[in-house]
Amino acid sequence: MSTRASFVMGVSSLLQSRCLWSSQWRARNYSVPSALLPPDLPLLAETARISLIPKEAEEFAPKIRQVIDWFGQLQAVDLQSIEPALRADTEGDNLRNDVPETFENREAMLAAVPSFEEPYIKVPKVLNKE
Amino acid sequence: MASVLFRGIQTRPFLLYPSALLSRKNGVLFCTTKCSQSQTATQENQQTQMKVSPRTHTKKVEKILHDYEAIIGIETHVQLDTLTKAFCSCAYLYGSQPNTNVCPICMGLPGTLPVLNSKVIEFAVKVGLALNCNLSMNSKFDRKQYFYPDLPKGYQISQFDIPIATGGFIELDLPTEYGGGHRKFGITRVHMEEDAGKLLHSGNGSYSQVDLNRAGVPLLEIVSEPDIRSGLEAAEYAAEIQRLVRYLGVSNGNMQEGSLRCDVNVSVRPIGQLEYGTKVEIKNMNSFSAMNRAIDFEISRQVDLYSKGEDNQIIQETRLWEEGAQRTVTMRKKEGLADYRYFPEPDLPEVVLSEEYVDNIRASLLELPEVKRRRYERMGLSMQDVLFLTNDMNVADFFDATIERGAEVKMAANWIMSDIAAYLNNEKLSINEIKLTPQELAELISSIKGGTISGKIGKEILFELISNGGTVKALIEEKDLVQASIPTLLIFMVNIKFIK
Repeated sequence: MSTRASFVMGVSSLLQSRCLWSSQWRARNYSVPSALLPPDLPLLAETARISLIPKEAEEFAPKIRQVIDWFGQLQAVDLQSIEPALRADTEGDNLRNDVPETFENREAMLAAVPSFEEPYIKVPKVLNKE
Repeated sequence: MASVLFRGIQTRPFLLYPSALLSRKNGVLFCTTKCSQSQTATQENQQTQMKVSPRTHTKKVEKILHDYEAIIGIETHVQLDTLTKAFCSCAYLYGSQPNTNVCPICMGLPGTLPVLNSKVIEFAVKVGLALNCNLSMNSKFDRKQYFYPDLPKGYQISQFDIPIATGGFIELDLPTEYGGGHRKFGITRVHMEEDAGKLLHSGNGSYSQVDLNRAGVPLLEIVSEPDIRSGLEAAEYAAEIQRLVRYLGVSNGNMQEGSLRCDVNVSVRPIGQLEYGTKVEIKNMNSFSAMNRAIDFEISRQVDLYSKGEDNQIIQETRLWEEGAQRTVTMRKKEGLADYRYFPEPDLPEVVLSEEYVDNIRASLLELPEVKRRRYERMGLSMQDVLFLTNDMNVADFFDATIERGAEVKMAANWIMSDIAAYLNNEKLSINEIKLTPQELAELISSIKGGTISGKIGKEILFELISNGGTVKALIEEKDLVQASIPTLLIFMVNIKFIK
């Protein structure tokens, strides 16, 4: 995924985690709109590992605010009598049988690894998940 | 299964550390002096820098533990025994050469899409039903996003707000050697997710190494309610989860292999206080006995700080259990809660269960440990026997098959628990691998009961049957082992007299 796309995903997930989570456990009562707070942009950029210079952060903040407000319009919809959907789409299930298959071109994949030290992928030492 | 733990015969890991010899008073556990004696020897060798000797420490802690209760919750990750990974068709074989069970999907290469393995749903439903949960007939996957070298996609596919199962419970019986007792612990939720790869830190510290064989392997995360109150209860809870997943055939539940991992959250509070104390997470416990000891240590540590008025030094953090030093140490202080930026996984459809599907699975479930224990109890077996026989499903099945063929219950139990178990232990075999059949064991028991052979002869025949198979009747004839009964002797003597 492109960094821009993942950034947008980050913002929308922020929306999710802020509104949906709390409303979820209120028996999915969407008739009560909750206030949509703008995200802490520097913190969000840090979690998404996107480096922003202060000028960019300043530029982006109102734009992100606009995106959130735009989504926020959805809260005006009356959902009293609608059964909540878990997610968008109704393709039906897409399941696979539990049958092993070896990928034929493992060598090509491993050859494409930037830093490979047989048999491991070499990475910088990172101890902390934060 | 080659390696099977038999209770009461093979030394259970946590019997080595009788710090688990605990009695229950006012809902709080404390060590008896016996445990401090056996601990002292090892601890004195290990830690000369301990300011307080173990014995006085234990006595002091004994007093104050009285006034506190521990609140413990456990998160268990169970690696599922499916043939392929959760979202791709790679096989998973523990012990394979690094980076050999991989494909573009589990390596997170651009453009790949996950496809769910149907077996994962089946196993999740089995576990949900076995844990008496409410199943979500519709659930979904979410992305849990964070960056770490063993997480190829930069996110883990998991279930956040709508897990496949919620609100269940598990029941177990505490071992008789620790006072026994029945417990019921709540299960908050069960959800499906994928495992990350393995990260190895090199010796010299400048870089690390990643093996992605394990990336994408299906996991079930089982979260308990904070109903657990001691290290012993926690160890037994984990053992029961292991027993359950083995009974269900969804996982081999080996902690040593990493197919069963437990993270524990411990807090304490003065008895009577409504608010929970600060929660501390403990990681790096590699056995049930380690869990037991780690939790008891942590309870003592926290209670000790409370008693000194220093409970503000208990901070929400993750601590590591150090097996060598037998203590928990700070890993890294948690700087607030992590923000995983959850959102629904767009590449996977909803997981929809039909009533029929669930009913079929429910019907296919075999007798679970708790039900078996209660049935064996009703048969008149002692709790100690019950716990032994039900620990391993294969042993229970063997026992059931033996009594089905008419063998007397107590005798069957005794033979299995003593001579047979001893043999299995010595030869490191499972009960399925010996040549003795339940039919022949039943035959042996009735032969002894009927007086055809003595108990002593029975033991000899048993050994022969276990190692070489055969039938009781054949062995008795072959070795001419029929116990002379009085009527037979008289007839023999009378015949001799007549011949003379």
